[in-house]
Amino acid sequence: MTLYHFGNCLALVYAPYHMAYKFSGISEYATFSKCVYAGGLYIFTQLCKMLLLATFFPDSDNSHITGEYNVFLEILKATVDFADLFGLYLALNSVPGKGHAKILTSAIGWASAEVLVTRSVLLWVGARGSEFDWRYVRACAESNVALVSAGASAALVWLWTRSDLPRRLAPGVLALLLLQPYRALLEDALGAALALSAWALLALRAAHAAALALASLAMYAVLAQQIGI
Amino acid sequence: MWLDEADGFAEIFKGYLPYYLLVALPIFIIMSPVNPVAASHEFSVYRMQHYDLHTVPHGCRSASFNLEGRSLTSWSTSRHCVVARVQDISIEQFMEIRSKAGALLLVLPKNDTVLTPEEKEHIQLLEMAMIQQEVNAPVYFARWTPDFEDILRDLQHSFITDDKSGTALEAMLNTVSSNGYQIVVSASTPQKLDSKPVTIHGKLAGRSGSAQTIVIAAHYDSSAVVPELSQGADSNASGAVAVLELARIFSRLYSTAAVRGGPSILFALTSIGHSLNYFSAKKWLEEQLDSTDASLLQDVSFVMCLDSISSTPSMTMHVSKPPKPGGAAHSIKSRLGVSINHKKINLADELLAWQHERFSIRRMTAFTLSSLQSHKDSSRSSVLDTPSEVAIKNLVQNIATTARALASHVYNLTDEVNDEDAALYDDALGVDEASVRLWYNYLSSQARAPQIITTTAPNAGVTGTLERALSRYMDVTVSAHAVDKREPEFTLYGATKSVLFVYSVKPAVFDLILTLAIVAYLSVVYFAIQLFPRFYEEYAKLVTGKAKVH
Repeated sequence: MTLYHFGNCLALVYAPYHMAYKFSGISEYATFSKCVYAGGLYIFTQLCKMLLLATFFPDSDNSHITGEYNVFLEILKATVDFADLFGLYLALNSVPGKGHAKILTSAIGWASAEVLVTRSVLLWVGARGSEFDWRYVRACAESNVALVSAGASAALVWLWTRSDLPRRLAPGVLALLLLQPYRALLEDALGAALALSAWALLALRAAHAAALALASLAMYAVLAQQIGI
Repeated sequence: MWLDEADGFAEIFKGYLPYYLLVALPIFIIMSPVNPVAASHEFSVYRMQHYDLHTVPHGCRSASFNLEGRSLTSWSTSRHCVVARVQDISIEQFMEIRSKAGALLLVLPKNDTVLTPEEKEHIQLLEMAMIQQEVNAPVYFARWTPDFEDILRDLQHSFITDDKSGTALEAMLNTVSSNGYQIVVSASTPQKLDSKPVTIHGKLAGRSGSAQTIVIAAHYDSSAVVPELSQGADSNASGAVAVLELARIFSRLYSTAAVRGGPSILFALTSIGHSLNYFSAKKWLEEQLDSTDASLLQDVSFVMCLDSISSTPSMTMHVSKPPKPGGAAHSIKSRLGVSINHKKINLADELLAWQHERFSIRRMTAFTLSSLQSHKDSSRSSVLDTPSEVAIKNLVQNIATTARALASHVYNLTDEVNDEDAALYDDALGVDEASVRLWYNYLSSQARAPQIITTTAPNAGVTGTLERALSRYMDVTVSAHAVDKREPEFTLYGATKSVLFVYSVKPAVFDLILTLAIVAYLSVVYFAIQLFPRFYEEYAKLVTGKAKVH
């Protein structure tokens, strides 16, 4: 609508990231450059993924025109998202420090880069126009959810890299990691099956991310207990 | 590694980031386009008539606006654009809007069949009222679309106005839930059009060179409140089609010397009709009569104008002087078997009633054949004047009647005695229904307002097509007329159509409420992060069953 509305949206996106960085204690490690590095890795990973998709997958624009929805193809495409986990692994490796600092730094860097790349142009172009649409506010709220799920993903990857991971936790971590690339697809499918409105879908995503975050937090807590951090 | 050394750089970056933003943000704002997003709705809209007649302004005087859309009942100031269905607005409401509102957007009915006869009459009267005077606010018309239906419904049922809601909370909820519409038309100021009216005429020469001439004339433009939507099927596609068909019939008769009639027949199609005071006919007469070589209209027997002849299967002869018994007009009258409507020419009126008055002023015997009883019939200038099957039937019958009367006058037959002659006669004068239908449908599918047909090149558009059609039967001359530079008889203005953007917007208060909501959410997030260590402790205890070891 106006610049003021754009400001509203920006506050909704930026403030949670800022608070997560400032108040989680990782800013004391002076790891801003590590965040930037994680963000850089995110962009690099996306480029690699795009290269893969463009090389090995048929033109997705055609299916938009014909309106067909090829489930198998979509699943195959989502499989490429395993590259994200590898990228997160690289980011975690590059950050020195304790477990929670590693996880938070790479998660915040990763999610910030994602927001910057996927949402900033949309907001700049859309939320400032004279047309009002709830979807910009929704996109902003969604980026908060993305931060939570990035944290959960980073925690899972970190847990998997630990050699001292308790045996009984390993299957859970592995299962959640294997499910990771297909989560967005599952959310969409559930939303379509239940014919959810856009706001309900957002709530579903938030609930899903929160559940995943709690699950990985529990496993992190067990490991932390064991190794004493 | 450079990233490890970058910590200092990062500190600088962090420290200065807000100041950088202070500079960068305004630059971004200046650089980015003014209106970066396309509206969710785009419509083609057609502007109301805009012309001066004898320097008296008529119609809508402006073209662009950017205003909030309101319904007929909820608008209040000149900052509102009233959006309504054309059948819903009364003439009193229009008068009020004309003087107070910022703009008017009227949505035409979905199609004619949804209208009752009363509604049709109401729309025609409204059109007449609208065109009478000048309107300073922009007035646009739009074709019906489902999107418009939604917008109209939203505007009628949602009240963004604060006085409509009871409590403050209700008002707040209203601002969040309701949709406002910002309606934008960006068009340049209407420019004067360079109008070149024309008259197309062709002559079928009679048996002897000195014999009299019969003139058959019709104007082929249409007039309605919206130039781009003036189909003018009855007025006056029907008259023009009749002229073409009569030209076809008589060119066949006149092609062989044996059956050629006595008088010459002159066919004329004029490009400006009743909306602009029959300007083409006036200029054409001046050129033909006042030039030194005035042979074309030297000895005119009578002038027959055809105007709106498809609404009923019968016609009325409109004259400005009752025909004398024994005269040519009287002969035609009795052969046609029509009633006479006598109306004296009133030069004090702004507009002449019928085209024949132009000829009567120049002392020719002239009359107009029309299915309408009165020249004041509002259907002559209406957007609802659309083609129909019934009209084609009526038109064919009226052309046949006219052709028959004309032929019996030309060949001076009293009555057909035997059946064989009558059959021969019918065969020779047969109206080709397919061709009538084709021409009628073609002409009534084109917007033929003076703004459109007099600004295209004479050999293009409707004018060019009619010229080529008539030249199949005879030699055709197209004469272009110029409007007087100093005292223009009429001035036409452009910008007849435009694109309308509709943005859905929220009131300014809505953004404040949104800010409050976001601040509330962010403080929840803040406290959640602050409380996270304690939560983690409890949670870890719950999961592992042990207190955290430090």
